[in-house]
Amino acid sequence: MSLLKPFSKLPGLNTANILLVENQEQLQHMLADVLVKETPLTVTVRLAKSLPLPVDESRPRIDLVVFIINLTSELSFQSAEDSLKYLDPGYFLGKVCFMVTNARHASVPTERLDALRRLAASLHCPLLFAEDQTPEGVIGAAERLLTILKVSAGVVPMTTALYLSNLTRCTLPPDIDQPSFD
Amino acid sequence: MEQTNASVTRTPLDSVAVKRKSKSRSYRQSYRSCLGVASRLGLTPARRLTTNRKAPESHNITVNPEHLALLVKNEWQLAYVTPLHQFRHTQLRSYARHLSAFVVAEKQQGLAVEVSGLQNGFKASMTVVQGMSEADDDPETVLIQIHSKPLFSRPDDPQKLVWSGWLTCINGNPEYLHSLPKDFTCLPLFVYKGAENLSSLVKSWVQRTFDCCFGPLELSQTSLQWLAALWTNCHAESNIQHLRMLWTLPSAPPLQVTYAVDPHDVWELWGSVRKGSWGDGAGEARWIDLEEVASFMQSLKSHFYRHFKLDLSAGILNQVSTALGSARFNGRIKISNSAYVITTLTLLTECALLKMPI
Repeated sequence: MSLLKPFSKLPGLNTANILLVENQEQLQHMLADVLVKETPLTVTVRLAKSLPLPVDESRPRIDLVVFIINLTSELSFQSAEDSLKYLDPGYFLGKVCFMVTNARHASVPTERLDALRRLAASLHCPLLFAEDQTPEGVIGAAERLLTILKVSAGVVPMTTALYLSNLTRCTLPPDIDQPSFD
Repeated sequence: MEQTNASVTRTPLDSVAVKRKSKSRSYRQSYRSCLGVASRLGLTPARRLTTNRKAPESHNITVNPEHLALLVKNEWQLAYVTPLHQFRHTQLRSYARHLSAFVVAEKQQGLAVEVSGLQNGFKASMTVVQGMSEADDDPETVLIQIHSKPLFSRPDDPQKLVWSGWLTCINGNPEYLHSLPKDFTCLPLFVYKGAENLSSLVKSWVQRTFDCCFGPLELSQTSLQWLAALWTNCHAESNIQHLRMLWTLPSAPPLQVTYAVDPHDVWELWGSVRKGSWGDGAGEARWIDLEEVASFMQSLKSHFYRHFKLDLSAGILNQVSTALGSARFNGRIKISNSAYVITTLTLLTECALLKMPI
């Protein structure tokens, strides 16, 4: 089974590699356009629809894996969940992030968002909400990703991805287990 | 945060909470009600729809047949309403007079010439619809109607109904209803039909008079799936004639899929999904679980995938319709069979309670 491993290659100097995984392949292109403009850090963005990735020896070490989930589509959530098993456990020490779009859409049942929150909380990963319809929203989302990416790539002194993940990981709201009307 | 929660659940007003804890679940407050002002509200309604629901039975409703006919033959728009302050069911006549005066005044705003008499006069009437509330705690349903004369009519023509709306609460969550302070009446579901300007006039009048808020009620995917399952379950008693679903798939351009299923096939599918609970006696009310609904929809989707290689879970369910009624995602609903009005309205009341900001 081709697991993606976080530490199998050496890091590059002043570079960061980010992998955007999205089933619908929409937001990842827009985010990629914004992310590559970053200076002085050289950001390489790799795009995928789902994991596992095909075997490629020339792939550099991936510093951050971002799963982009569109909450209005159940398939998007399913495919992200299925892709999780192809990641080496070393990634879950702060090198995985979930980004959600369309969380406020009226057709989204609350169970889906709750299930996603539980998943993110159990994996100790940050859960970011993004607005993808306006360019300002995409720029905002890209900036948040860059903050986490810089730490994961080791470019920020005195911080590692594991330390940051303690601060940014998703927590469950206290009434998530509140029973329904009975 | 944990400490605040614990202390507030012990406040004297929540003596009702002591009774509820018999099921050894602890109820917590919403974030907003952690502020002191709203602490009297105590409990929020739940965060998700019920997972267990009674299978619908045809009820013999003791409602005025005229009102029922009105409800059944039209397509309605849904909205949610926050609890009304100082609403008295006894003062409906004076409310109706105020409403007529308000509507007439608003219509005449901006007109330089005084309209003679009540040529286009609007007359509003509010009536209580007896017999619709299912549980003991539900406040009675209120029907608001606006009649007016059409523009070019003779003086002695009868007035026609131009706008009608219902404020209702069917099987509302009893703990929530008890936790409201005394002056508030909770009628969370607002069902209306008519011209848009009249709707906004009525809404602004109610907002001003009773200090409440309106908001659009959209039906989420889960509610639409519940409606599909509940209506299918009624096939034994009244033929649903078809189960038609409208899906929108996100492609460029967006693809609309109309998926129509023959009633016998869908009844067999539903039966095989519920095979566990078929042994009950005929008189017992059977419960439908959320998992059964989910597997019912999943089997419909996988059948579609097997034939067309299109996975419907990538899209959004927009509309569900059977002979018993149809429901659209943007909050339009039509109930065609008067026997299942109560069940449908129960589900919609729950959706309204969930969507309410308080």
